Amino acid sequence: MKIRTWHSFFKQGIKSAFGNKTMSVASIVAITAALCVLGVVMLVVLNLNYLMDDLESKSEVTVFLEKDVELSDIKGIEAKIKNWDGVNEVEFVSKSSALESWKEDLDDKAYLLDGYEGAENPLPHSFVIGIEKPEYTEDIASKAETLPQVMKVNYSKEVAESLGKVVHTVRLIGFVIVLILAVIAAIIIHNTVRLTVYSRRREIKIMKYIGATDWYIRWPFIIEGFTIGMTGSLIAIVIIMPLYKYVLNKLAGQHLEEGFFVNIFKLLPLGDVVNTILLVFILVGVSVGVIGSVMSIRKHLKV
Amino acid sequence: MIEFRNVEKIYSNGVKALSSASFKIENGEFVFVVGESGAGKSTILKLLLKEIDPTSGDIIVAGQNLRDMEERDIPYYRRGLGVVFQDFRLLSDRDVYDNVAFAMEIVEAPRKEIRRRVPMVLAMVGLSSKAKCYPNELSGGEQQRVSMARALVNRPSILIADEPSGNLDPATADGIMEIVEMANRRGTTVIMATHAKDIVDTMAKRVITLKNGVIVRDEEKGGYFNED
Ligand SMILES: Nc1ncnc2c1ncn2[C@@H]1O[C@H](COP(=O)(O)OP(=O)(O)OP(=O)(O)O)[C@@H](O)[C@H]1O
Ligand SMILES: [Mg+2]
Repeated sequence: MKIRTWHSFFKQGIKSAFGNKTMSVASIVAITAALCVLGVVMLVVLNLNYLMDDLESKSEVTVFLEKDVELSDIKGIEAKIKNWDGVNEVEFVSKSSALESWKEDLDDKAYLLDGYEGAENPLPHSFVIGIEKPEYTEDIASKAETLPQVMKVNYSKEVAESLGKVVHTVRLIGFVIVLILAVIAAIIIHNTVRLTVYSRRREIKIMKYIGATDWYIRWPFIIEGFTIGMTGSLIAIVIIMPLYKYVLNKLAGQHLEEGFFVNIFKLLPLGDVVNTILLVFILVGVSVGVIGSVMSIRKHLKV
Repeated sequence: MIEFRNVEKIYSNGVKALSSASFKIENGEFVFVVGESGAGKSTILKLLLKEIDPTSGDIIVAGQNLRDMEERDIPYYRRGLGVVFQDFRLLSDRDVYDNVAFAMEIVEAPRKEIRRRVPMVLAMVGLSSKAKCYPNELSGGEQQRVSMARALVNRPSILIADEPSGNLDPATADGIMEIVEMANRRGTTVIMATHAKDIVDTMAKRVITLKNGVIVRDEEKGGYFNED
């Protein structure tokens, strides 16, 4: 279609998007509200993922070897472990470096360990296995127990496993909430555009009798839905972004006061979420608007 | 060419508005459809526009059976028809000028052409001074003439007019009939439903007479048939 025709489609669509004040405000508020909730859910999920990744990179299994293990056996065991599924990396910790780090931990009481160096070192050699995903931890640990020359296997089971499950559940619930909200917003927009369509049903019929194509009639309504969706998303972005920034600043303040907090609870910086939120909001807002309006015209075009 | 073959129309409420109607109209013909109120005149015109579909029988226009027409081809078929509706059917949110221009906008006529043609047809129907008025600011006769202007603006090959002089005084009605005749002389096929006895009688064109949905007469150079 010609540019002039598009121009008139946009003029009509935008005019009726803001034409019926109460209905327009109602549907823009609805979509803004839905997107704000979606934004919160998204930010929680994004941050949980982030936390998960962090934990995942930390989940590890420690394998202590028998005292009398030979250097050649150590090489063999290391090669075996490296071959297992889910193993990221294998780090060998000799008994002397284990003693060193123990000493470091003891700090000013390090003298307690004096005299245990060299042949007197009671500590075993060990491997620290980095695991790809916490779900694999138990599997890898039990496999490690069956290896020859292994004295003991240690791993932090609860944290890794339960967090994995929590994240899965949160992701699922978040997805469901978001889906429900999107549907509700679509229904609200559908109703708004349906009002416009209804008030213009006589006009639509006349246009069809004169020879207008369905698309010629549809476009202004689609643009109306698009405009409502777009306006709703922009408002939601303007609300959610500063809100997240505020939460970040608030937490940053707390970090300074309670130093330990930093390590456990770290949120994604604004810059990392801005693009995702922007994209998702506009995409969801606009498609909900367009789908809502396409649904409301369908019935009236059949003449 | 337009052909009705045993066309029957029974509305969903059971009213039989047309029974086994058959006739042919050649290109460039001028045909009156007459009959008392409720005889089925508008039904014939609505069938032609494909606003409604026949219960049985076939309608063939320019070699195409309307029954077989694809949904997406209907708009293009309708663009070849100029229709003056009995109930005018003007767009209430546009002024007179835009109502007429709309018929050209949907076919994406060049803007220059729209600006030339619209004032011309408005002058023809005597409504130049009302170009900026909205339909609810017009009298019935004025709305009827806007409907006529819109029907003619794209120079349709078929003009379908349902009571185009119904709300007009005799002088204005004569003026409208002159415009229709002019279009007919340029080759437009005209099918007009009317009650206007004097117009039918003086123009001496073909007349199809309906009674209770049945074609009771079809005469060349006919007159308005009165039972008494
Ligand atoms: N949509 C409809 N549903 C049911 N019955 C209808 C419908 N339209 C028309 N009718 C009936 O069909 C019959 C023919 O109607 P039509 O409109 O064709 O008459 P007409 O000859 O145009 O009359 P008029 O001169 O009053 O315009 C009438 O009995 C009418 O009541
Ligand atoms: Mg009628």
